[in-house]
Amino acid sequence: MSNVPAIIQWMQNSDIGTGIRESIWLFPVVEATHVLTLALSVGVLIWFDLRLMGWGMKHQPISQVHKQVMPYAFVGFLIMFVTGVLLFWSEAEKCYLSGFFRAKVIFLALAGLNAGIFELSTKKTIEDWDKYPIPPVKARMAGLVSIISWTAVIIAGRATAYNLF
Amino acid sequence: MHFLLPFFKWCDSTWLGETIRNSRLYFPVIETFHLLALTVLFGAVIVLNLRLCGLFMKNQPVQQLAKDLSPWALCSLVVILASGVMLFLSEAMKCYASVPFQVKMAFLFAALIFHFTIHWKVTRAEREPRLIAGILVGSINFLLWFGVGVGGRAIGFL
Repeated sequence: MSNVPAIIQWMQNSDIGTGIRESIWLFPVVEATHVLTLALSVGVLIWFDLRLMGWGMKHQPISQVHKQVMPYAFVGFLIMFVTGVLLFWSEAEKCYLSGFFRAKVIFLALAGLNAGIFELSTKKTIEDWDKYPIPPVKARMAGLVSIISWTAVIIAGRATAYNLF
Repeated sequence: MHFLLPFFKWCDSTWLGETIRNSRLYFPVIETFHLLALTVLFGAVIVLNLRLCGLFMKNQPVQQLAKDLSPWALCSLVVILASGVMLFLSEAMKCYASVPFQVKMAFLFAALIFHFTIHWKVTRAEREPRLIAGILVGSINFLLWFGVGVGGRAIGFL
């Protein structure tokens, strides 16, 4: 495939890429870990997002939920990221050429940007929000953007595997 | 012949099953909903069971957290079961021959029964559960749901 950059071709044909792709057990195990860790990363994070929007866990103080949820969500994200890189490595050319995979990367970046803004700026007044049932608009927006972008990441990720279009 | 074979054959021949099977799009779309709902339900299961094990939000009563989580968790359970039935109908004969499917169903029934009896009772009790009971009930509940997930993922691979 000449329209694929050299680095992608190199990944696809490297020992690691070929090894994962052609192993009977490795690909399914890495893939299953990637999918099931969704529960730990996005599944747990979504509860904080719902709390941010005032839609769920309304009785729990926001700063508490944040402090408790984030470490688990972060560990989940790390596992997803590592297994995701390995999966990409084994199917680099397919992923590179897939429109869904590109969409997934874009939504991942959006989720990351949103989280970055929240952690570095919006969060500064989080202790004050505990006093109100519903947090300020900026915080609610952060929750909404997070849920939308992670949902899009999951949909695009699933569609990448099916090679639909 | 297994006594369930006629049932699987009937499922495989239903209108819904055939419609999904004959489309390139329906199966992936339904499976995406299955996966999204799974994320929400398993997330809730993890959060509540971490609390039961004393690893999470210790100053919040278990009962309150369980009540806060349950509307979303129950909705996603309904979506999972509905989409799961549709996926099953579309490939019932494949499932009939699949060991991971059998494992998944065994875990699913065990998880549902445990979740809505013992786990429900412990998390809805006025009195806080003792830590040892919480750890026991929380880890059994998590392992049962985890088994459903692993079995489900394996159907596509084995």
